[in-house]
Amino acid sequence: MTTAPAKLALSRVSHRFGETVALAPTDLTIAPGEFVSVVGPSGCGKSTMFNIIAGVLTPTGGRVSVDGRDVTGRAGEVGYMLQKDLLLPWRTVLENIVLGATLKGGASRKEREEGVALARRYGLGDFVNHYPAALSGGMRQRVALMRTLAMHRDVLLLDEPFGALDSQTRFAMQQWLLSVWERERRTIVFVTHDIDESVYLSDRVVVMSPRPGRIRRILEVPIPRPRPVSCLTTPEFAAIKREILDIIYEEAPQIGAGTPETGA
Amino acid sequence: MNGRGALVLKVVYPLLALLLVIVVWHLAVAYYQIPRYVLPAPHDVALHIADDWRALMKGFGVTFIEFLLGFVLGAGAGFVFAVLMDAAQPVRGILYPILIVSQAIPIVAIAAALTIWLGFGLAPKLVIVALVVFFPVVVNVLDGLASVDADLLKLVRAMGASKLQVFRHVKLPATYSPLFSALKLSATFSVTGAVIAEWTASTSGGIGAYLLQANSRLNTSGTFAAIAFLAALGVVAFLLVVLTERLLTPWRTSSTARRWSRAYWRD
Ligand SMILES: Nc1ncnc2c1ncn2[C@@H]1O[C@H](COP(=O)(O)OP(=O)(O)OP(=O)(O)O)[C@@H](O)[C@H]1O
Ligand SMILES: [Mg+2]
Repeated sequence: MTTAPAKLALSRVSHRFGETVALAPTDLTIAPGEFVSVVGPSGCGKSTMFNIIAGVLTPTGGRVSVDGRDVTGRAGEVGYMLQKDLLLPWRTVLENIVLGATLKGGASRKEREEGVALARRYGLGDFVNHYPAALSGGMRQRVALMRTLAMHRDVLLLDEPFGALDSQTRFAMQQWLLSVWERERRTIVFVTHDIDESVYLSDRVVVMSPRPGRIRRILEVPIPRPRPVSCLTTPEFAAIKREILDIIYEEAPQIGAGTPETGA
Repeated sequence: MNGRGALVLKVVYPLLALLLVIVVWHLAVAYYQIPRYVLPAPHDVALHIADDWRALMKGFGVTFIEFLLGFVLGAGAGFVFAVLMDAAQPVRGILYPILIVSQAIPIVAIAAALTIWLGFGLAPKLVIVALVVFFPVVVNVLDGLASVDADLLKLVRAMGASKLQVFRHVKLPATYSPLFSALKLSATFSVTGAVIAEWTASTSGGIGAYLLQANSRLNTSGTFAAIAFLAALGVVAFLLVVLTERLLTPWRTSSTARRWSRAYWRD
C-alpha cells in the first residue's frame, strides 16, 4: 500500500492530556479508496486519533496530511460521523443531510437537490420531509452517513457508527455501508469494537493498544470482494480474527487483573 | 390519536368540566340557600356580566395589554440574559446570585416600590409581569444552552462551522423547548402579576382594579364577574403561548415538516 500516493497520512502524530499519553507518536498511511478499520480496547486512543484527523483537536506533536497537504488542526477537511447520530431534531431529514452546506452559509437549491438524490439513492426518498423523531435507529444512522457524504470529502472517519444498533440492523447497515463505499469511492477509516465487523468490512485492520495509545500491528485482509455473508464462516476469516484477538489479549490477559499505570 | 379524539380531549372535556362546576355551584347556592352577598348564583353573575359588559371588556383589554407587553418584555430580556450568561462565565457568576436573591423578594413588595419609582401608569405593571416571567425563562434557556450534546458541538466544529453558525443552527433551536416550558408555566402567573400590580396602583381600569372596586362595595356579583374574566384571561394567555409554540416548534407535534414551510421539499 506504500506505492500509491497517500490520501491520508499521519506522521509522528501524538497527543497527551496532562500526564496521560492518549496517543504515542503514530504513523499511518492510507491509500485513496481504501477501507481501513481501527480496533483496540477502550481508551487506546482511537477517538483521540480521529479528533486529531478531523481537526477538532490539535495534536501535541506530529502532522496530519490529506493529499499531501498539511491539515493539522484544521477542521472541515474530512467527513466525520460518531456513534450517536446527532441529527438535529428541529430539522427535517433533508435539512439534516445538507447541514454541512447550511453551516457554511446556506444550502443552495442545487445542494438540496443533491441531498434529495442522495436520500432517494439510499432508500430514504419518502422521508426527506420527516423529522428525525419519526425514524428508526437504523434510518437515523443512514441519514447521519448521508450528511457526511453530502459534505463531499474524500476521507470519511466513522467512529463506531453502528455501535448503538441491534445486531440485525447493524448487519444490514454493514452491507449498506459497503454498497455506499463501492459506489462513492471514498476513503473510509472505521473505528469499531466488533472484530467481525472490522474484518468483514476492511482492506486493512489497524490494531491499537493502550497505555500509551499506539498502533500494535496492521493486518491485511486478503478476502476478495464482493464479500458474501458466507465469508464470515470461512477458515480464512477465522484465522484473521484469531490473529487480531491474539494481539489484543496478549496485552491485557484478564479483565479485572491489575494493570500497570504507565506503559512506556 | 385521530383528529376527532383530539378534539374531544382538548375542547369537549374542558367545556364539560366548566359546565359541571357551574351546575354544582348552582345546586349548592339553591340547596343551602346561600345569600347573594356571600355567594351569588351563576345566573346572578351572568346578569351582572351582561349589565356591565362594556366596563368588563375594557378592563379585560387593559389587563390583557399589560400581560402581553410585560410577558414579551420579560421573556425577551430573560432570553438575552441567558445567552449572555451562557457565553461568558464571569457574567454568569455575577448575575446568578443576584437573580436568585431577587426571586426571594415577594412580588407585592417590589410592586409597592415600583409604584414609587415609576408612578401609576403602564410601566410598573409591565415590569411586574416581566419580572414574573423573567426568572423561569433565564433558568430554562440556560439549561437548554448547557444541555447541547458535547459530541454534537464537536461534530459541527469538525464540519467547519463558525461559532456564530453553531449558535444560530445548534444552540439557539435547542432552547425552544425549555423556553416554551417556562412560558407555559409563567403565563397564568403573569396574569396574577398584572392583577397585583393593578392593586398597588389601581388607576389603570384593568380587571384587577375592577375586582378591587367591586370588593370594596361588597358587590359580590361584580367580584365574581371579575374572577370569571380573570380566569378567561389566564386561559387566553396560556392558549396564546401554546399556539405560538405549535407554530415555532412543529417538530414536537408533527412527524413531517408543514407543507407551507420553507423546510418542506417539493420537486
Ligand atoms: N478530553 C480529555 N481529557 C483528558 N483525558 C482524555 C480526554 N479524552 C480522552 N482522554 C483519555 O485519553 C485516552 C484515550 O481516549 P480515547 O477516547 O481516544 O479512547 P478510545 O480508544 O476512543 O476509547 P473507546 O473505545 O472507549 O471509545 C483515555 O485514557 C482517555 O481517558
Ligand atoms: Mg472512542
